[in-house]
Amino acid sequence: MNSTATPITRSIDNKGIEVRSLRFAYYGNAILSDVNLSIEDGEFVCLLGPSGCGKTTLLRLLAGLEKPSAGSVSWKGKAIKGPSLERGVVFQDYSLFPWMSLLQNVLFAIEKSQPQIGRKWRRQLAEDYLEMVGLAGAVQKYPLELSGGMRQRGAIARTLALGSPVLLMDEPFGALDPVNRAKLQDLVLDVWAGSTTRRTVVFVTHDVEEALYLADRVVMLGSSPGRVIHELKVPFARPRTRRTMVASSAFISLREEIDARFRQDVIARIEAETTINTPGEGV
Amino acid sequence: MSDTISDFLTDENRGVVKPVRVATGQPQRKTAVLSLHALRGWEGVLFLLALLLLWQGVSLLKFKGGYLFPAPWLTLKTLWISLPELLRGTVSSFLILVPGHLLAVAVGIAWGLLVGTSPFLHRMFAPFARFASPVPPTIYVPYAIALLPTFRTAAGFVVFIGAFWPVFLNTVAGASALPQHYRDSASILGLNRFEYLLRVVFPAALPHIFSGISVGLVFAFILLTVAELFGANDGLGRFIQLYADYADYPRMVAGILYTGVVVLAATEVLERIKRRALFWVK
Repeated sequence: MNSTATPITRSIDNKGIEVRSLRFAYYGNAILSDVNLSIEDGEFVCLLGPSGCGKTTLLRLLAGLEKPSAGSVSWKGKAIKGPSLERGVVFQDYSLFPWMSLLQNVLFAIEKSQPQIGRKWRRQLAEDYLEMVGLAGAVQKYPLELSGGMRQRGAIARTLALGSPVLLMDEPFGALDPVNRAKLQDLVLDVWAGSTTRRTVVFVTHDVEEALYLADRVVMLGSSPGRVIHELKVPFARPRTRRTMVASSAFISLREEIDARFRQDVIARIEAETTINTPGEGV
Repeated sequence: MSDTISDFLTDENRGVVKPVRVATGQPQRKTAVLSLHALRGWEGVLFLLALLLLWQGVSLLKFKGGYLFPAPWLTLKTLWISLPELLRGTVSSFLILVPGHLLAVAVGIAWGLLVGTSPFLHRMFAPFARFASPVPPTIYVPYAIALLPTFRTAAGFVVFIGAFWPVFLNTVAGASALPQHYRDSASILGLNRFEYLLRVVFPAALPHIFSGISVGLVFAFILLTVAELFGANDGLGRFIQLYADYADYPRMVAGILYTGVVVLAATEVLERIKRRALFWVK
């Protein structure tokens, strides 16, 4: 961070991701409608919603991989026009290139993000990133030789190597077993909390417990079309421990609240559909 | 994307072999019919022995035109005697085949990667490819011989045409079928077009490309030997044509057997290169 920055410019800097009246349609079908969302710099936000609610689409819009049909998405006051090294993405799976070893995958990212660094240092740096995610002994391995958990560690290392201040994660641990899942959640939290300039993380999940364990704030999305139905702050102090969190009454009431909100949304939608489908209605 | 690629591959998917699937449990050895590994099982050996016995039997029968079936042993002896001549022919044939095929591979891959990733080039080239790719390249042989100054260039040209389409069509198929997640990763990394083609699309399309190269190689052999039947002074096809004209059938059959072995060896070499290059494909 710029140490000479005045408090005023800092508050502008703190403005992270801004989503305004966002609409996204695919062949005329509205996937997302009237989404408003602001995410502060350094915040850890989970986008929580059932499958098909457009949470992945929202993340792709934040990444710049899709363009909004209406409304705006901006980062630090600038409209997001396309993908950028400023916003690294970890996809659900298969994002490492299988024809490159782990080391080559991470080196490729460094080569693109920090081309000024010499060859020898790049390699050192790549090994450091892989060590950070616990893959020090597997740098020469190819994705095919690795388990799903190790591949996702590699994908995280590659994204970290981009040096992006914003990390976008699209259900990155959806395909993993519970033990690996927990380990990688802790890894992400360590990386997030441990860095000197705290990264902004937007993490997509459909798992309530995962969202409550990781996030500062949970943004709930409802479906057809996808929109924000509720936002809630997660009050648990960090560092968190799963066992105490899950047992706490605050956790139980938060989870119940989330369930109730999703239920409400589903009921409202079913009622709306039956109203429209009544014969003669709306003619 | 999938509907654009079908523009190319609807009826003329001649030459487009389904490539080895990425990351499935299917062993790729099963697809290698023309490989030496096919000889490993006893069933294969048994069949070849049965064929040899049948051949021997037919050659022992006395019937009109029996001279067309020289005995295996005689054929083998003739093969041994003709070996120097056959080797010279092989060199002559390969001097046409290798440059023609390599050029087809280089141009087919480069143009295929461009066409497979650019909707503009695709729209531009697809109608022509639909028209030109199904034309059997053998029919170009007389014209190429009339058009080009030497037999070598003419035969090389025909080999090029024959090998180009399978390589090109398979490369387009591979490039168009690039999974979305590789495209996304490439966008996030901010690759320029050249890096994207060279380091993402090309390796991802390699399983398809190798199918194209194998089919192209077999086509190249067919076209070369056919061209040599027309007007060569040397080469494997010429050898067979010459001794057929002299009614020297032992030599002719020896030439056919020898050509089979050469094609088998060439495809085996290619198969090994492929297995090396695609070590990352399950």
